[in-house]
Amino acid sequence: MCHQTVSLVARHLEAHGIPTVIMGCAKDIVEHCGVPRFLWSDFPLGNSAGRPFDLESQVQTLELALRVLESAPAARTTVQSPLRWNADAAWKRDYLDLTKLSPEKIAERRKEFEVVKAVAKAKREGS
Amino acid sequence: MTTAAPGAKAVFAVEHDTPIPYMQRTRDYYLALGFAAYRWAHFAAVPFTPLRTPLSRARVGLITTAAPYQPEVGDQGPGAPYNAAAKFYQVYSVSTESVPDVRISHVGYDRLHTSAADMNTYLPLARMKEAAAAGRIGALAPRLHGAPTNRSHRTTMETDAVELLHRSREDEIDAVVLVPS
Repeated sequence: MCHQTVSLVARHLEAHGIPTVIMGCAKDIVEHCGVPRFLWSDFPLGNSAGRPFDLESQVQTLELALRVLESAPAARTTVQSPLRWNADAAWKRDYLDLTKLSPEKIAERRKEFEVVKAVAKAKREGS
Repeated sequence: MTTAAPGAKAVFAVEHDTPIPYMQRTRDYYLALGFAAYRWAHFAAVPFTPLRTPLSRARVGLITTAAPYQPEVGDQGPGAPYNAAAKFYQVYSVSTESVPDVRISHVGYDRLHTSAADMNTYLPLARMKEAAAAGRIGALAPRLHGAPTNRSHRTTMETDAVELLHRSREDEIDAVVLVPS
């Protein structure tokens, strides 16, 4: 949801004359929405600005985003960071992997999500 | 690194070494749980505003989806379970001269492969301050802004984005870096 939110905001700012660049990890969500400029890091969600406790990675990620900001020739410019999270790409299989969930676990997750939705609704209505 | 060294032998990547299809996985996951499919925002036309000021003279803003830490709503620390009580539903702003305590326990980051232990992975504020000090950007905006992550496209487009534009104009910025969590 975060990637969709910033995509919608970037579009609004850009439509009103403010150039933008998104630094993010969810390529499909951002490109499906359609944004002016996007620096994509093929990292687990939560690491849009670089690897944890890795100053060089964070500096390089910001620098690439700034270059995209100043040099993108047209809308829908995506640049992929050359950095890799891990030489082994196995981590990419795990996010919301249904094959690892038993029917009992799925039922449990459903109940948990009902609770999350209720908490979020109460917070939203109270704000 | 994904950049091949000169002269390196080209080797096929494994089948699953592709961008994670988050929309498909999310759709399949919630359908399996018994919920309706979510319709992701999708546009054919995309706005584009060229950068008119060289970055070395530009004032650059920062927009995040991270949430201000709220001590009364439970665990928001590294690796904390999804915490819907830590969500926020109004745009917020904090001074970039401070080091704000913002967390991401309210969103679905990859809790299996990362832990949100280092704020700099989702909020490049320190790195942007360094870029300003080095002259890579002209200046950092006086405030950073927080964008609520809302399932409603309409709320994001008609309320939150409008407010973020208003605040960005108040800050007289030339460009914005947006960072989802």
